[in-house]
Amino acid sequence: MKLPIELPLIELFMAELRRNWIQFIRYPSEAVIGVFIIVITFYFLFTGASYIAGPNAALSTEAGSERLEVLVVGYVISILVISILSTTSNNLEQEASTGTLEQIFLSPFRSLTVFMIRALASLSLRLAIVGISLGVILLITGTQLQFPPLLLLPLTTLTLSAHGLAFALAGLVLVLKRVAQILGAVQFGLFFLLAAPVETMTGMGRAVALLAPMTPSAGLMRDLMARNLPLNWHLFGIALVNALVYLALGLFCFARAERSAKLRGLLSGY
Amino acid sequence: MKILEAQGLCKTYRRGQQVVEAVRGVDLAIAPGQILAFLGPNGAGKTTTIKMIAGLVRPDRGSVAIAGRDPHREADAVRQLGAVLEGNRNLYWRLTPMENLEYFGVLRGLGRTAARQQGRALLERFELSAKRDAAVQNLSRGMQQKVAIAVALVHRPKLLLLDEPTLGLDVEATQTVKVLVREIAASGCAILLTTHQLDIAEELSDRVAIIRAGEVIAEQATQDLVRQFAGASYTVELEGELSGGQRSQLEAQGVLIQGSQLFVRGAEILYEILEIVRPVPIFQIKKDAADLTEVFLKLVQAPRDD
Repeated sequence: MKLPIELPLIELFMAELRRNWIQFIRYPSEAVIGVFIIVITFYFLFTGASYIAGPNAALSTEAGSERLEVLVVGYVISILVISILSTTSNNLEQEASTGTLEQIFLSPFRSLTVFMIRALASLSLRLAIVGISLGVILLITGTQLQFPPLLLLPLTTLTLSAHGLAFALAGLVLVLKRVAQILGAVQFGLFFLLAAPVETMTGMGRAVALLAPMTPSAGLMRDLMARNLPLNWHLFGIALVNALVYLALGLFCFARAERSAKLRGLLSGY
Repeated sequence: MKILEAQGLCKTYRRGQQVVEAVRGVDLAIAPGQILAFLGPNGAGKTTTIKMIAGLVRPDRGSVAIAGRDPHREADAVRQLGAVLEGNRNLYWRLTPMENLEYFGVLRGLGRTAARQQGRALLERFELSAKRDAAVQNLSRGMQQKVAIAVALVHRPKLLLLDEPTLGLDVEATQTVKVLVREIAASGCAILLTTHQLDIAEELSDRVAIIRAGEVIAEQATQDLVRQFAGASYTVELEGELSGGQRSQLEAQGVLIQGSQLFVRGAEILYEILEIVRPVPIFQIKKDAADLTEVFLKLVQAPRDD
């Protein structure tokens, strides 16, 4: 009997979603440790910054202390972006070593399609972990943030842009195999990019910040969540173009890297 | 009709200043239900060839057709292909066998329901039903290998690539995998098998292709190849002692003397050897039955023409 062969993307997405969640919840202690590390890192950052700033500085838990709210939003954005970048490249490294990477390239789906579906499925998990961590941080610090429905728009552009970088890094993994050093440097740079106050900057600095990956989306999220401002549609338009450009660049780099890996016989384990 | 037809495959790698010709004009063909053992020493070009067949390495020259379709040009061609590569398990270790089968079934283009049905049937066929809900990392190496082969078959491919399927397995697990490979071939699937365990290759394969330094140096039916090499040597076992003069004469003829046994290469000199030995009593004369290991070693150790 011949099996019915279909290529429904929704089936693939659901299979990826199941795989991600099963692998995650099979070891619940890892999930708890993940959330704990995110929260404890923030706590040390927060107490360290408060100590340096002194008891009278605005970095306090008092209502209306915008700096703390901005700090929380910035931290959570950084964690989400770094999680997207490191998960993509770490998973690819791991799959190369267990031999499952080659199996992905033996699928009738285009490999780029599989990796995009994977990214989308994995994002739900990342958002859940970051969401839980954010909840705990808000409880600990007593901070209040806003979550208007329009927040989904800059959140989408932020993750699109982050995935652009993630795909570019994944391309490097295909060719170079190990990118831990590069990932470390990228993460360091991202802290600066994501902290750049593009929403309040002017002149040349603002122009440069608008061109940098994710910076306009992060600015919009700070406005919506920490400052309770309405969505700046003009800035969102820039964030959308910014996200699409970086996503396209990332996908292009990945496709080129895959081609190069196939030509040079690098698509394998170690 | 052949399920696999690879013609004139060539691949050159550049490593810094060095240019390595990994594969040079390899032709391979496998019919449905046939097992081709693809043998060669380490670095001979086996893995590169297999990966070119699977579409994972792009050849510099040559063509691959799996059931008439080129995996380098048509993504659909890999629907006819299943593979367990490089001796590792090709599985998600935290998932159970059933979850792996379901996931890879969908990745190969099946719907979830079809993947589950096929997964259940394979687990039963491979006697893994009792372990269907255990995480792969908790299974024995033999069981993991069975799951990997089941996963490679979940979409019912016409060609199965098995790279070192018995590597690291104990005797019992090796036996199980051998039985499975025979059953899979009997069901009509063409199998390309690489292994360093030549007794297994001899036992399982219908045909053998031996690759050395990127070139296929022999490709024919396994038993024909073994017979071809077996026809030329004899063991003569003596009941008495040879004189010093006889020993010298025999050694001059290229005969290897070990105790009471003489190893004679070539039927054409056998009677000359018997003349030299006369009148020492002969216990028995035996035509040597070569095995694939012997054939393999002779072929890969022979001086190269180039």
